Amino acid sequence: MPVMETEVLIIGAGVLGAATARELSRYKVDVTLVEKNVDVGWGITKANVGVVCQGRDTLEFRPEYHRTRLLWRALPLMEPLCRELDVPFKKVGAYLMIRDMTKKEKLDKLARRTESLGLGSDTYYPYPELKEREPHISPEIKGGLYDHAIAVVHPVYLTQALVENAVANGVRLMLETEVEDIEAGHTEFRVRTNRGEIKARYVINAAGEWVDRIAAMVNADDFVLFPIKGYVGVLDRNCSELAGSLLAVLPEEPGDMNIVVPTVEGNLLFGIQLQINRRHDRSTTALMARRAIENARKIIPEISEKDVINSFCGYLMFRNFEIGWHECEVAMSARVPRFINMTIGYPGVSASPGAALEVLDILRKDGLALEPNPKFNPYRKDIPDFSMLSEKERKALIRKDPRYGHVVCRCETVTEGEIVEAIRRGATTLDGVKFRVRPGTGRCQGGFCGPRVARILARELGIPETEVTKAGGASQQVPLRTKQLLEEGGGDG
Amino acid sequence: MAERVDVAVIGAGPAGLAAAIAARERGAERVLIVERAEQLGGLLPQCIHNGFGLLYFGRDMTGPEYEKAFIGRAQSLGVEARLETMVIDLDAERGITAVSRRHGYMKFKPGAVVLAMGCRERARGALGIPGTRPAGVMTAGTCQRFVNVEGYMPGSRYVILGSGDIGMIMARRLTLEGAKVEAVVEIMPWPGGLIRNEVQCLHDFGIPLLLEHTVTFIHGEERVEGVTVSRVDAERRPIAGTEKLFPCDCLLISAGLIPENELSRKAGVELDPATGGPVVDQNRQTVVPGIFAGGNVVQVHDLVDWVSWEAEAAGRSAAAYADKGRLKAATGVRVVPGKNIKYVVPQYVSGKDDVTLHMRVERPGLKATVKVGGVLWKRYRTVRPSEMIILEVKGQAMKEAGIKGELVVDCELRGGD
Repeated sequence: MPVMETEVLIIGAGVLGAATARELSRYKVDVTLVEKNVDVGWGITKANVGVVCQGRDTLEFRPEYHRTRLLWRALPLMEPLCRELDVPFKKVGAYLMIRDMTKKEKLDKLARRTESLGLGSDTYYPYPELKEREPHISPEIKGGLYDHAIAVVHPVYLTQALVENAVANGVRLMLETEVEDIEAGHTEFRVRTNRGEIKARYVINAAGEWVDRIAAMVNADDFVLFPIKGYVGVLDRNCSELAGSLLAVLPEEPGDMNIVVPTVEGNLLFGIQLQINRRHDRSTTALMARRAIENARKIIPEISEKDVINSFCGYLMFRNFEIGWHECEVAMSARVPRFINMTIGYPGVSASPGAALEVLDILRKDGLALEPNPKFNPYRKDIPDFSMLSEKERKALIRKDPRYGHVVCRCETVTEGEIVEAIRRGATTLDGVKFRVRPGTGRCQGGFCGPRVARILARELGIPETEVTKAGGASQQVPLRTKQLLEEGGGDG
Repeated sequence: MAERVDVAVIGAGPAGLAAAIAARERGAERVLIVERAEQLGGLLPQCIHNGFGLLYFGRDMTGPEYEKAFIGRAQSLGVEARLETMVIDLDAERGITAVSRRHGYMKFKPGAVVLAMGCRERARGALGIPGTRPAGVMTAGTCQRFVNVEGYMPGSRYVILGSGDIGMIMARRLTLEGAKVEAVVEIMPWPGGLIRNEVQCLHDFGIPLLLEHTVTFIHGEERVEGVTVSRVDAERRPIAGTEKLFPCDCLLISAGLIPENELSRKAGVELDPATGGPVVDQNRQTVVPGIFAGGNVVQVHDLVDWVSWEAEAAGRSAAAYADKGRLKAATGVRVVPGKNIKYVVPQYVSGKDDVTLHMRVERPGLKATVKVGGVLWKRYRTVRPSEMIILEVKGQAMKEAGIKGELVVDCELRGGD
């Protein structure tokens, strides 16, 4: 196995690792980003609902918390960042609502605090006015506090853009590279991976769901995490008019999350947050699905199971309850010099640009020379989204490349041109294509376009279709040729 | 500039082909089919089993044979087709916007439009099956395309959720391919497809059909490793303690079809929640003048022969509309589904002309009587939701019965379920 050397090794290409890599690419530093999955942004990041917020919706979010500071540092950066990287950023605003007037006091308190912290001013709307602004909300809602600053991004698009830009500016990306062990020396770390050893002066541990396990490899796990599992349902595009803003009900019991969120694409997400769960278990259960739809109906009674086109589970890695589950860890380990842990919990996507800057401060303070990279280019162009273009732009695009005239995914109007471009930019799997340009995210969930996308992937990657996977590993969509079982003497049943 | 055509047909499946042929035969000069796939025939090319054309041609054909007969007629009549062309917009004035690799960006202004987009299968997300999200979960139709057209197998050991016709046909097909089908699992107390498919595809091959069961969990990280199947109670809720694990590497879903009406919605066509398709009159005209619909986009049929007949009516009417510039809406009488009737198509009739009513019952039963207003009644030994009931009603009879405003259709059961 070869031995590689790098100055800064980032473990995990989720939104935190990606933001840090991109921030470091502004400087003349040798940076390597390793990711165990076949693509970026597929861990905790993937199941994030993409809300960009200041955390001012809850009183537990205290100004003295590290996480709160990161968030407030990050928020002004998010919109310009999305503009530089050509990532959709949509200001939707949010209503934090109550179903019981005894809770009004809490909303007033939140509003007063927001004002006193200089975060702006929120307006309270009683039900009739709320109903005018969001006509589909339940009549059981009594009123709500409006926060105009709330925006949404797509966490995976953002991560892809950050990584693409970081790589364009010189960061080395290694996919399907899993860290197996780390040895901490006096001047360097020796990181053993399935792809050989990497020597690094600094290690930034942004391993998401596994951040504590990685830290434990060098005894830098001076923090405790609890995985909290959440359920997210996706509604058909036909339901997009049901909510124009993020709608949330003030938690009625601790840890209760109860929201409807518009996405950058125009679908609505709804979700609940459950309690502590076994790690790496991303399965949904019938109970979660039922509770989620019941809760969503408490916000918008018109939402029906029939409109759910997909659902999934995700994790939030929380600090322990004694420290306060709204606290985070972005710091150099007290025990292991040059080993930096990064984990936010909620809301990680919002905090990511701030967390990245914080890591740079830590590195600078530790003596890493950060000389500007003269070749740094902050801009990245997104893959054209045919479905969003004007007639004129569509015509021009098809003239330039006729593959943009070939619609492959009918639900989301995704063209072959977009799919080929997604593959050119690093998608190697069906999910890789899906999480860049959306074929299969619509109401038929890939029933029609699945075979067609697989064929394009096989063609562009130069592999047989039997080797095309959903998400890497053994996840082939069609592992066998017809007649193969007959030749091999039947199924294994 | 928008290109002029007399009749534009969206979709080249059995409905689109039949509509285009009928429109040409009725005298429409320029008939154009716009099709998103790379060939004509819709899903027929992947339906290599038999059972097509028994009613229409009086002979047992495969899907490709049935398709060929229609394609031949369409070609000899000079029906034009744009393949790999996707309609991305349809407006209430019948303006069509389409794109393709070969022809680029196109606009059409047809005299009349026939919607023939067919239907799609319900996917896992719509069913909300709990569990993990591995590879190896797909609809029966997607699997059918992979196996019969592309030459690939998604797995070697299957469980099929839902006893729709495609699912049962795939159970047989996969068995013939050397795969093992562990079970077909149906949540209702009766099969979802035709009896003939239950017999020929499951019983003849010893494939278990588990009625009143459903898949309650999908297992596996990268690939499906198995599914949990549970019995359900009368409310279709899984009964705790009845879970059984079926090891498999693929779960096929055959749990119903949904008419594809995204374009219809864009044009302002009113949809019937019971069918999922447009509300149509006896000429298959939708509420938008000049826009007609036929085949599975209107209602999901059991047999392709009926798809062809329904679409022919739509094609003829479209040609008549394109010819005269209008075709009066035949909406004098609203057909109302009554006792144990899920839906009736068409939703409107003139009350003066002979019409064919298509309907489905909600619950199955023995010794059934279907009553159409005071006009007509017919006895059936059995009725079931999976088998469409077709009744001819004479215009004269409706006139004599003095039908005005509403025509209620009921199904009375004398035997038990």
